[in-house]
Amino acid sequence: MPLPDWKTTRRGFLGGGAGAAALTAMAVPLHAQSPEPEPLENYAPEYFTAEEWQFVMSATALLIPSGPTPGAIEARVPVFIDLQLASGFGSADDWYMAGPHIADADPLLGWQSPLTPAEIYREGIAAVNAWCEQTHEAPFADLLPQTQQEVMTALSEDEVPLPPELRGLFDLLLQNTKEGFFADPKYGGNHRMAGWTHIGFPGARASFLEWVDKHNVPYPLGPVAISGERG
Amino acid sequence: MITFLRILTGLVLLGLVVLAAILFMPVRTTPALAALPEDYTPPEGSGEYAMRLADCSACHTAEGGVPFAGGRKIESPLGTIYSTNITPDEDTGIGSYSLDEFRAALYDGIRQDGAHLYPAMPYANYRKMSEADVRALYAFFMDEVEPVSNAGPETALPFPFNQRWGIRTWKWAALSEPGELSSTGDAAYDRGAYLVEAPGHCGACHTPRNLVMGEAGYTAMDGDFLMGGEIDGWTAPPLRGPDSAIRNWSAEDLKLYLASGRNNHAGVNGEMQLVVRDSLQYFTNEDLDAVVAYLRALGDPAAGDNAPPVDPPRTADRLDPSAGGTQAVLTAAEPGMALGPRLYLDNCNACHFVDGRGADQVFPELDGNPLVTAPSATGLIDTILNGAEVPSTTVRPYSLRMPDFGHRLSDEEVAELATFLRSAWSNSADAVTTADVTARRETAEERAAAE
Repeated sequence: MPLPDWKTTRRGFLGGGAGAAALTAMAVPLHAQSPEPEPLENYAPEYFTAEEWQFVMSATALLIPSGPTPGAIEARVPVFIDLQLASGFGSADDWYMAGPHIADADPLLGWQSPLTPAEIYREGIAAVNAWCEQTHEAPFADLLPQTQQEVMTALSEDEVPLPPELRGLFDLLLQNTKEGFFADPKYGGNHRMAGWTHIGFPGARASFLEWVDKHNVPYPLGPVAISGERG
Repeated sequence: MITFLRILTGLVLLGLVVLAAILFMPVRTTPALAALPEDYTPPEGSGEYAMRLADCSACHTAEGGVPFAGGRKIESPLGTIYSTNITPDEDTGIGSYSLDEFRAALYDGIRQDGAHLYPAMPYANYRKMSEADVRALYAFFMDEVEPVSNAGPETALPFPFNQRWGIRTWKWAALSEPGELSSTGDAAYDRGAYLVEAPGHCGACHTPRNLVMGEAGYTAMDGDFLMGGEIDGWTAPPLRGPDSAIRNWSAEDLKLYLASGRNNHAGVNGEMQLVVRDSLQYFTNEDLDAVVAYLRALGDPAAGDNAPPVDPPRTADRLDPSAGGTQAVLTAAEPGMALGPRLYLDNCNACHFVDGRGADQVFPELDGNPLVTAPSATGLIDTILNGAEVPSTTVRPYSLRMPDFGHRLSDEEVAELATFLRSAWSNSADAVTTADVTARRETAEERAAAE
């Protein structure tokens, strides 16, 4: 698998802020309906600690890299995950959590951990960072991009030793990263409908009856969000 | 100088005499239009049915309140009028009303204590109601409705409208003669005329007001009758004449609209929603046919039914790709399109489609829709901001709700969208300004806060 060129050290990200700001400024005339939110580097997480925030910033940037097209960072995926973990999803409000929990049961049997998603992130990030300290002498966010890639690959292949109740960390992170990239912007991610624009999804318009008989003609109009924001 | 003083004194005295006459000359109430025996008993069920015909519950029931216990806010041009308790409670309702006092309220707008009722009570129309229906109503409210003690808020209009004696002079100028309607010999038409002109009080909203704010006509003979009026800032569309949308409806369409609030063209909206919910859906089949016969004769659908061609089974086949105008702009979906059509695609198109024709009995047509093209855009603005609901009825039990778009669109965007709708397809009506929308949004917020 080719490695992405884009790296996400804290320094690199801060340096890239100017470029991102310029990109954003160019995009404003198209959809200047809501004010630009707090830049990511100034964002005060509702759930994550500073260390966890750095981990999530680095990890999501690795999962959906930035390049000629927007990645997880431009789409503000970390904000989406932070807000979700601070809400009912994070505390598993809608889930059956009464047990019995057999954390090392066959994964095909579904969610077996006694921990909520928020707890999985909290304990899982701490465990991965501890493992990184142990093997690479730095927390995940401070590793070189190449090393981060290796750690993330190892995590995805269950080669980072985690207690069974945390084994869902990678799947959860990948799932939430995708959701943050493609969910409606009202949840904090998919900023300016970057994910939708990237794949040509027209958003919450949901009506294309006059196009059903037009074969092999690209649909020209940009997306619309639930809030009515136009892309 | 002395002459001048004499004239002045004379004028003052004359004024005082007139005032005294207005204040103290006993009012003559209208007698029964037909002599029914003292012990006349209305047929079983006729009381409730007469109540449905006259739609008493729509105004005399507060939002979510006990039926007929009053307290509903009625926004009149003079200020807020609260409807009264018409349950047979002795103290706060009409329990102590005699038949004659009850009839005086219906026919002449006179309260038991002699005070004049505001014309929000449609006695201008009820005064043509038959004695049989008056008796039926009286029996219903005295014997079939449970008394409810509810004093309700007192109507307190600003001066001079709080001087109820002034209403007496208004009545002299505005009311028509009481009395039964003349017969044409056509039983269905005559019944329809009675239902529309008397208990149904359609003219209260659908007839324009004259200089003294009276209805400009009360029967089919009057040219202005049902030529369109206004209610709470919304246009009540004309039901006759060249601008009447129902002129192009088939008899079946018109009947279905009355009975269910929906047909292949329109969905009921605004105050009319209450009329369908509380009154029209209870009309018997024969009475609905009578109203339809009358309205169609009145509307003179000379060219026959101008109903559009039957839709193909697949809606996509309806959307002619070679169509021009508005439909072409919407179909092309070019990113550079103007804001109005863009907002239509983003917000309206999923239900109302690029040809603005909606879907039969579900989504109203916007092309040629009288709410869209009304002289007052208030109804259109309110509908976009707050949504709308077609009520559940016996023949069409599912209630249909259009969502509110006020949270999704700014005032500028609503103005752009409304302006687009009013000039799209074959529509041709004035533009809507942002200030119009802002005013309606504030009105809705004030009313919500007052609830």
